[in-house]
Order: sequence, then C-alpha cells, then structure tokens
Amino acid sequence: MIFGRKNRKPITIADKKVVDWKYAVCGYCSTGCSIEVGLNAEGKPVASRGKGNAPVNQGKLCIKGIFEHELSTTSGRGTEPLMRDKIYNGFTPVSWDAALDRTAAEFKRIQEKYGRDSVAVVSTGQLLTEEFYTLGKLVRGVIGTNNYDGNTTLCMASAVSGYKRSFGADGPPGCYDDFENTHCLMAFGSNLPEQHPIIYWRLKEALEKRKFPLIVVDPRVTMFAQFADIHLPITPGTDLVLLNALAHVILKEGLQKQEYIDAHCNGFEELKATCEKYDPVTASRICGIDPDTIKHVARIYAKAPSAMSIWTMGINQSTHGTDGVCGINNLNLITGNIGIPGGTSLSITGQCNAMGTREWSSCSGLPGYRMLEKPEHRKEVAEFWGVDESFFPAKRGLQQTDIFPAIESGEIKALWIVATNPLTSMPNQPRIKKALEKLEFMVVQDGYQDCETVNYAHVYLPAAVWGEKEGVQTNTERRVNLVRKFTEAPGNSKPDHWIFSELAKRFEAGQKIRFPETTSDIFDEMKQLSKGQGRNLDISGMSHDLIEAQRGIQWPMREGEDTGNPRLYSDGVFPTPNGKANLLAMDYIEDNEVPDASYPFWMNSGRVVEHFHTRTKTGKIGNLNKFSPTPYMEMNPDSAKEFGVEHQKYVRLVSRRGDAVVMVQLTQRVPRNMLFIPMHYHDCVNRLSLGLLDPYSRQPAFKQCAVRIEHIDQKEAARLNVERRAF
Amino acid sequence: MWKVRDDEPQYAFLKEPNVPEVNYYEAPIDLIARSGGAIPAGREMFINEEPGVGTNPNRNKQHAFHFTADNCIGCHACEAACSEKNDNPAHISFRSVGYVEGGTYPDFKRMNISMACNHCDDPVCLKGCPTRAYTKHVEYGAVLQDPETCFGCGYCTWVCPYNAPQLDPIKGQVSKCNMCVDRLEVNLKPACVSACLGNALNFGVVEDLPENREQGKLSIPGFPDPEITHPNIRFQQTKQMPDEVTRTDGMPVKYHKGDDGQYRPVVDQKKGVDKRWSLGKLSSRENPLVIFTLVSQTSIGAFFLATLGILFGFEPLVAFRESVMYVPFVAVTVALAGLGMLMSATHLGKPMRFYRGFNNLRHSPVCREGLGICLYMAFVGFHLLAVLPENAVFIDLMGDWGRFSGLATGLAITAMIPGSIGLYYMYRCYRIPARPFWNHWQTATSFVGTAMVLGGLLAGVMVMATLLWTGGDASAVVALTGAMVLLGCLLEGVGLVGHARDMNVGNNEGSVSHYIQCTLFGKSYLLRNAILVANAALAIVLMTIASDVALSLTVIALLLATSMAAALIGRTLFYVLVIPTTMPGAFFWKNKDFEEHAREIGLANMPQVGVVADLH
Repeated sequence: MIFGRKNRKPITIADKKVVDWKYAVCGYCSTGCSIEVGLNAEGKPVASRGKGNAPVNQGKLCIKGIFEHELSTTSGRGTEPLMRDKIYNGFTPVSWDAALDRTAAEFKRIQEKYGRDSVAVVSTGQLLTEEFYTLGKLVRGVIGTNNYDGNTTLCMASAVSGYKRSFGADGPPGCYDDFENTHCLMAFGSNLPEQHPIIYWRLKEALEKRKFPLIVVDPRVTMFAQFADIHLPITPGTDLVLLNALAHVILKEGLQKQEYIDAHCNGFEELKATCEKYDPVTASRICGIDPDTIKHVARIYAKAPSAMSIWTMGINQSTHGTDGVCGINNLNLITGNIGIPGGTSLSITGQCNAMGTREWSSCSGLPGYRMLEKPEHRKEVAEFWGVDESFFPAKRGLQQTDIFPAIESGEIKALWIVATNPLTSMPNQPRIKKALEKLEFMVVQDGYQDCETVNYAHVYLPAAVWGEKEGVQTNTERRVNLVRKFTEAPGNSKPDHWIFSELAKRFEAGQKIRFPETTSDIFDEMKQLSKGQGRNLDISGMSHDLIEAQRGIQWPMREGEDTGNPRLYSDGVFPTPNGKANLLAMDYIEDNEVPDASYPFWMNSGRVVEHFHTRTKTGKIGNLNKFSPTPYMEMNPDSAKEFGVEHQKYVRLVSRRGDAVVMVQLTQRVPRNMLFIPMHYHDCVNRLSLGLLDPYSRQPAFKQCAVRIEHIDQKEAARLNVERRAF
Repeated sequence: MWKVRDDEPQYAFLKEPNVPEVNYYEAPIDLIARSGGAIPAGREMFINEEPGVGTNPNRNKQHAFHFTADNCIGCHACEAACSEKNDNPAHISFRSVGYVEGGTYPDFKRMNISMACNHCDDPVCLKGCPTRAYTKHVEYGAVLQDPETCFGCGYCTWVCPYNAPQLDPIKGQVSKCNMCVDRLEVNLKPACVSACLGNALNFGVVEDLPENREQGKLSIPGFPDPEITHPNIRFQQTKQMPDEVTRTDGMPVKYHKGDDGQYRPVVDQKKGVDKRWSLGKLSSRENPLVIFTLVSQTSIGAFFLATLGILFGFEPLVAFRESVMYVPFVAVTVALAGLGMLMSATHLGKPMRFYRGFNNLRHSPVCREGLGICLYMAFVGFHLLAVLPENAVFIDLMGDWGRFSGLATGLAITAMIPGSIGLYYMYRCYRIPARPFWNHWQTATSFVGTAMVLGGLLAGVMVMATLLWTGGDASAVVALTGAMVLLGCLLEGVGLVGHARDMNVGNNEGSVSHYIQCTLFGKSYLLRNAILVANAALAIVLMTIASDVALSLTVIALLLATSMAAALIGRTLFYVLVIPTTMPGAFFWKNKDFEEHAREIGLANMPQVGVVADLH
C-alpha cells in the first residue's frame, strides 16, 4: 500500500550468509581484477565481489567475474582420470598411477621410435605461473621435446613477436594508469567495452575527469567505435598500411620527436624510406580510410603531449599481426611515446595468465624471457635446473599452429594438450580433426571432461581449476597477482602442478631434478631465476603474501624494493644489443583470402562479453550464457535484403573449408560485405575460418577470410543448432 | 544490516543531495510530507526481520535511478550484479538491458537501455495487485513486493509499463527489484549502480543530478510514456540518435522522432504483410482467462436475460420460470460462473491461495471483478436454493417444502448487482494504459456483446426446448434470441470497427498489435469478423422465421456453433495480441520470439539458456 499499512509486509532480501571472503585474481581475461569470493558456513563459494582497494579494478567486476563463484559447481568437470586404447572406444576410469604410467610409457615409446620431437605439448594461458614454470621444466628439462607451445599463439603471439622485434624483449611497457595521463588514445582492433570491460571503465573514468581524443580503428561499429571521437572503419587486414601512412604524414610534416629517435632508435632511415611509399592517397585505396582523415589522425597523435596506443586481436590475428604491432611501436617510438606516463604501446592481452606463460613457461624458449638461441641462457638455466646444457635445443621448435600440420605430415605422433580446446579454438576445424585422428597417442589435461578435444584423447587427466589451487598470474600491465585456494577440486581431480611433478617422477631425468611440492616453493625458485643484471622480468622482491597485501605487484620488483614498477623503458634503454629500440621498415603484402564472386563476404570474428573462449566455463553458467546461448552472426540489413536473408532466421555459411549454421542478427554495425560471428561456439566459426599464419608469430588470421551465405531449411537448421550444443 | 567494507570504494556511496521541495510532478520529495505526516520518520524497515534504523540521513526522501543513455555499453554488469545479489536463477532478472539502434554503416548508433523497477510515484502494480503484496515505503520511496503474499496472478506484470515485476512460472510467484534498500540503509548505492562499468547508471534522491551530469530528462527513445506511472528515473541523453530507431527483438515496434523531439512507437513490419491463420499460436498461457471471461459472461448474459424477462412479465419466460426446467437452467448459470472462477484460479501461480484475491478492494479492479463474480455466483446459487422447492421433480423426490417465490425473486435481483459490478470490473481490468490494445472501449462492447450473444443463445435454447416439450409457443422466444444475437453482434461489430480505426492511427503498441492481428492472424481475424456479420444476418433471418420451429432450431444450432467459434477466436486473439509498452529487449535475452523458438526446438531444455522450457 502507498505509505503504510496496518500489517507490515516482510521485506525479504536474499542473504547468502557469507562467513569468509577469500582473495583471488580473476581467472577469465588478462585484465587481472582482484576478486573476493564469499564462502558460507559450509565453505561453499556463494558470492563474488570486486576487491575494493585493488589498484586494477577498484571494486568493480565484469559480468563473468560477478558470477565466478559459480564455477565450482559447473557441469562437465572431470573427477577421475580416464583411459582407452583407441579413440573409437569408450573411456574407462582409472587410477592416477595407471594414467600417468601409461602417459609416460607412451611418450618414451614414441620418442624412442620416432625421435625426441615426435611428442608435442600444447599448453595454455589458463594455468598458474608456477604451473607454467613446472611444465616448462618438465618439457624442456625432462621430456626434452622442442615441439612445445601454448595456445597463446592464437591470441598474443603477434604482440610477443612485435615487442621482441621492436624492443628486444617481450613485456608490455605501459599500464592502466597511463589513461590518467595520456592526451590521446588510439585503439586498434580492440573492443574494450566487450572484451575488457574493466579496462574500459578505467579509461572511462579517466575520460570523465579529463577529456582527451579517443580514436578507434575497427571495421565494425562496436560500442567503443561509436563512443570514439574518430572512428576509422578500416578494411580488414590492412592496419599496416594505415600505420605506415600515419608515420608517413608525421615524418612528412616533421612532427616526429627527432631527438628521441636519434638517442634511442635504430633504423630510422629505412623506416623513412619505406613510409615514403605510403602517402595517404595511396594508403586510402588499400585501407579504406580517406586521406584527410589519415592526416588529421596523424597530426592529433603526434601533437599530443603524450599519446598511447592499445590493441587486441584486430591487430594480432592477422597475416600482418607482428608487422602491425611493430607499426604501432614505430608510431610510438617516433613520437617519443614509450615509457612515459600516458605514452605507451600497450597490448591488451587475452587470457588470465597469457602473460605468465609468456614469461615463465619456456614455450618459446627458456623461463624468464630467456631464449634457446642464446648459449648463455641455455647454460644459466641448465645449471640452475641441474640438467645437461646440451639437452636444450639451440633453436625454438614448432609453434602450436605448426604442430598440427606436423601431425598431418607424420612428424609428430603424440600430443599432450593442457587446458586448451583446439577443436573449437583452432582455425580450419576440419583439418584439425583429421590431424588428431592420426595421432598414436593423445593426452588431454583439462578441468572439463566435456571439452570437445577430449573426444580425440587416449588419456584424460582431470585438473583443478581456478580457486582449487593457489598461485600467481600476470596481467596485461605486468601485475603479478594471487589466487588463493578457496574450494576443493571435485572428485579425484588434481592441480596441474601436481600432475606435472608426478609425471616427471616417471622419467629418469625427472627423478634427478627438483620439483617443489607447493606453489609458493616453486615461486621462490622462480624468484631466484628472475634475478640478473639488466633483467626487467625480475620478481625477486615479491612473495605470495606481499602480492596479496598489495593486491598485485607490477614487475620488475627487485629484491629490496618496496613495490613494483609501472612502466618499462622509461630510461630509453631497451634490451637490444645496442640498447636502442628498432624502428622497422615493413612493406604491406596483400595475402588474405578476400571476398570474391563465389564467396562475397568478409568473415570477421570476435568476442561477446558474457562468454570466455570456447564456453567450457561460461556456457554452463545460466546468468552468463542466457545473453547468447546459441551461435549467431551480425549481418547488414541492406545486404540481407539483397540475399533474401531474414532477422532471427538460420542461414548456412560456406567457406572453402567447411560450413556452419548460425542465426542471423541484422544490424548496421557491420558493412554490407561483412559478417561478424562470435568466436566462442563449437562447430561454428572455425569450421569456416582459414587462419593464414603471420610469418613471425605464426598466429592465425582468424578475422579475415571469405564466405558465402546459403539458405537452409529452418527446421533442419534448428535441429542442427540443438544437436551441436551440449552446453 | 548490510555490512560496509573497510575498503568500500568511494563511488559506491550515495552523495549528499541538493534538491528542491517537490519533484517534477509537484509531489513532495520528502515522503513523510507526502504521506501527510501519517507515518513517523525514523521507522524501522525490518529487512529480513532485523530491527534497527539505517544511518542514511535521507532515508525519507524519494530516491530514483539516473541513467546516462550516452554511456551504456551493454556489458550486463548491472544485470549480473543484481542477479548475484538477489540470487536469481537465469530465467529471472530484476534488471534487463535491451537496445534500440539506427542509422547506416558506419553512421550507426546503438543505445543500450538498462531498466529495472522505477519505484513509481503512482505504482500501478501496487494498485492492481489483488493480494496487497506491494507496499510503497516512506523509506526511499521504494515500492517493495512480498513474493510470499503474491499468488501469481501476474496482473502487476500486465500493468507495469517497464516489465519490472518478474513472474516466475516455476515458483508461481512474482518478485522484483527491491532497490537494494539494505544497501541504502547504510548509505550505499544499489548493487547494479555500484557495478556499472560505463558510468551510465546512477542513483540518488530524485531530481538531484549525479556528479558530472547535466540533464534529468523524463524519457529517452524506447521508454514508455512517463505520464502513466510517474516513474522515479531520470535520463541524460546529450548525443542525438537517428530519427528512427529499431528494436532487435521480435516485437514489431520501432520508434520515430516526432516534431516535439520525442520518440513514439510505430509499426515495424517484421512479420511481413501476408495474412495467415496461425491458429496454433492462438493458444497461450492465458487460455484459462479465455474460458473464464467467456463462460462468466455467458452465465451473466443468460441469467440477466431470464431474470429481466421474468420481471417484465415476458410470457414465455414466466412460463419457463414455472417449468421444471428453470432449476437446471439456473444450475447451468451457476456452474458456468463456477467454472469461470475455477479457471481464473488455475491461472494463478499458486491456485490454492485464490482466497487472497480479495485483499485489495480499495484499489484493484481484479479484486472487485473477482468479488463481484463470486457474489453473483453465490446469490444465483441462493436463488437456485430458493426456487428448488417449487420444482416438480424436487417435490416428487423430497416432498413439499413450501414456496419462497418472493425470496427467490429478491435473490435474483440482488445477484444482478454483483453480476453487473463483476462484469464492469472485468472490463476495467483491461483498461491498462501500458497495454494500449486493451485500453479501449471496445473491450466493453466485446464483453457485453459476448454476454448477449452466448447468454442469449444459452437461455434461448433452454427456454425453447422447454416450451417445445411442454407444448407452448416458442416463436416469441426464438425472436427474442434472434434479437439478442443481433444486438450482441452489432455491439461487438461497432466495437471492432472503432477499435480497428483507433488502432490504425494510434501510433502506439496497440497499432502494433493490430498489425499482427491483420497479418500473422489475418485470416483468423477475417474469419471471426465474417462470422459476426453472417451471424447478425442469420439473427435477422431467425426473427423472421420464428414461427417455423424446425427451421428455427436449425438456425439456432448453426448460430450456437458459429458464435462459440467466433467468441473463441475473438477472445484468444484478445489475449495473444496484446503488446505491452515494455522496454526494448536484446537479441536473445528478453526477446519473446527467441524464447518461443528455444521452447519449440528444445534448446530451452538446457536451464542455462535462461528460458523456462514449459510454461504450463
């Protein structure tokens, strides 16, 4: 009743009866938000909230983090190791001993028969850094295969390669605080509000305090593009042309910071010569951005007292991914925007611990950004671990995207997949399926038994996930942060580091090397290895407890320092032979599969905020999944009219690789010749994608290929749609 | 009390307001003043039965959401924070984000709209609720609802223009946004506001602009007319939207900018222009209400006709009253009313709690309708008891108990009072501003028309049969039946013509309903209209051939069948067509078409799809 009644009605508001809050860094993306997970009296996780005084998220969480406590009850978790002789047989639950004995025996048998490198290991960005380090030790120091990589090749490899080429080492030089200081922000192929909503919020807060120009380069009118002061709707895959043209204008008009270039950069003349060819008019015909806008943007960027660039998969997942990254680095180097507050080249990373794997997993070399190619690094690590130096190969082996073709060609006979789902995440799924069937032995180690790749495994090892083990992760701004264990892993599943150490015991070499039992002991070991003259990746000043107390610490934090450092290269000294950064002269080569008469549409892909990767987690949490429970594509209504396609009906998409059935969402967000499909769904976008590889990073160009639309019987399509969704 | 954390971020705290005495609608912002001082300040709220008064110094001021439409990124953080706090399952959400969009690539704009309960000054939910589950509090002006009191009739979900009350088909009850009054008590903004990542959603004392905001507008494109309920939400939208914006959900509505700069709903021909039957789609969860309204109107029509005829001394009816068949006739009218009440109870989420339906006579038309029909049924029942001793068969079986003719007549006349009131409020129930398709006088002509046609036919058939059996002259009754059908059809017809005319030019959700009526259900709609015309003609024929018994019987049989068919089509259309003035949905979430599709193909069987698989 309005204002009062005789009999008061009860006011009942849900009370989750939280008795204890546990600290954790989020296990989804690389933003690195600090979470508190609420446990009730039974110790069950029932609530999540952002840690109020955490420097990254300041109490905020995105939709995925808000429901992260529900992860512990998601369906499909593995509870017992499983084994089978042939992949066409059913699995039988077995003991850990049986599963690990068989795995070790098969690895040894295959290595003896076909050579050390015939066993391949594909890891992830999902484990704790201590686990990555342990896996690296096992693979490089015990098993000794050189075909070892992470799924980070699908997301951040181009950023890694680009940083290495430009600056001499990996590691994003900037931080989120740069938003508060910058005078211009340019985003390339990054849809922050959808992919990294908390980073977007940090940017929004900065913008509300002090307005500065926001420039967004994206072929789609995302919310970010819509909110930008200037939106550059670029032709897919042509970022390098735009970047060269921006450099052209800056150099032509003398807007560069010559004294910075002279003091801190190599290769200026070569860059100048190459950029000369990319005048705005020529560039505009390739990248689709008009010459005046190119000039305008170049001037804004160069004249800003400080300017920063961020980018995500729009750059990385391209045949010119590494060149794009280097082009962005060029832009920031010639304008003197590296290592200063508000001036940086900041790759916005994907997975929660993509950085951790880059730093410590030895995937691309040896731990702590050390390289196999450098004899002194091989020696240092060999001595530290107590293995023979000659056991390490002198050159990095195959990357994930080359491992599958090597299975195809018979070079690789055994595969160990750790916490990744290539059957859904790799481009050209038909090819991956065929390759996996050829393996003599495959192990999948994952928290989820229903992850599609398990269908091709001989052995399945059930692993603990987020909150079921303790350790650190590194975020986009190099902040090392801690996940506390707050709940037990289901059934007989085990933390990944336990699995690695146990497997090591089954190799002769593994019995000689020390594998510490707890992650804090492993962390101490890593600290020792992180020390050294001129090393940036130094975590020796940190400890698990100190990390929690400071809500994450940015490396480098050297022994004796109070806290971490927000930026790299502030002194203008780069980890290259002569201490100078490299300006890179790069020509654009047209090599994408572009739309033609038979396949008239660009196929573009990306994320939606409610899902993470291949949906093995988010597809099972109703309050996330309900916002996009089934695959769909965005299509322009004008071209839909032309092709007789209707809103919310199914169509069949066909590429030169395969087909997919999706529901149509008509929107002017996309141009007439483009279809956009969220990348999360099994049996969808990667049945179509081509994934040409970047020559440096070997990262696939997920976002550029050609497809056509075919009509499909609506009932049949609906049946397929349901059939293809186990979750 | 909600526990404020040691490290609670500053943005989560409510700010000190600077507000005028009255809000935009001239109502005092101080709620103690607004209540006329009937309620003391500093009252305990007993949230979860916990005593104590919160520390919020402004707790007796009307609070409101403030939404900066320019800023919303559609990230779902508000919805998620709300569902996390309130522990809601996937299919229920107190807050939802939908969007409108327009323009042509790359000159394209999408506007996300996050909407929950607006804790209105004129809470139509509260007034409509028959169980008095709702309370508007002098604390924050929060409109709170008690799910345990609710019996799941869903009427609040009809009257609310913002889709705020959420009917859970599984629990059979409504729940809704509680303004996070537990957080407000300790000076914290609601969970959704504290979670916002676009800096779009804010909260505070109404008319007090948040920091860095310059507008406190009453509406944005896609938002229903605020005049309906005086909602406590204010908007900022400084960036222009295209003149026409569309919705992505299945609702065939788009919004067009008028000369005054306001966006109004217009038809978006999403369902094409083909006329279809779609008979299968006529069935809905409101089926019990189709039966309830039809049978109770039939009962009222028949009983009123008989009673008035007898009172005015219409010879064949007086004879019928004296016949042995009068008791079965009255029994049938009671049974129909009873069936109606039963049906309306099965429509409830918690049918066994039907008795709570009379708790809000002061405001709710649902209460008055229910009570009216109940009392009508009761008095007709008493009338039945009073006439029973006159009945020859009764006397044969039970002996002579005496005569109570005066009492019987008195009871019959008395029954007509609640009957009329019940019928009137049955009509008032549907005069809902948030449902323009219903909010038309045609609803009245339809209800009365149905009563006349079906009631007339029921009474006519029974009286005719009786007279034929007793050898009386039925021609006058045949003529009377014809006249009732004719009048009923005319009344219904006039209503439909007026309705179609008004809906065609309405520029509201009613026009959209009418568009669906003429396309998706186009053929069914035409059939019903054709039957009405044909039945009016047949009724005239019937009046002219009244003396021909055999022919009359044939025509009446035909009329009976066609009238029932027409009534059934008409009434099911009435329920399935109504489009509320709800907020725009998203592509999957809050998209009725997707929900229907998910149910059809079995996707809804996975609970994480967020669609309840089986509604009934």
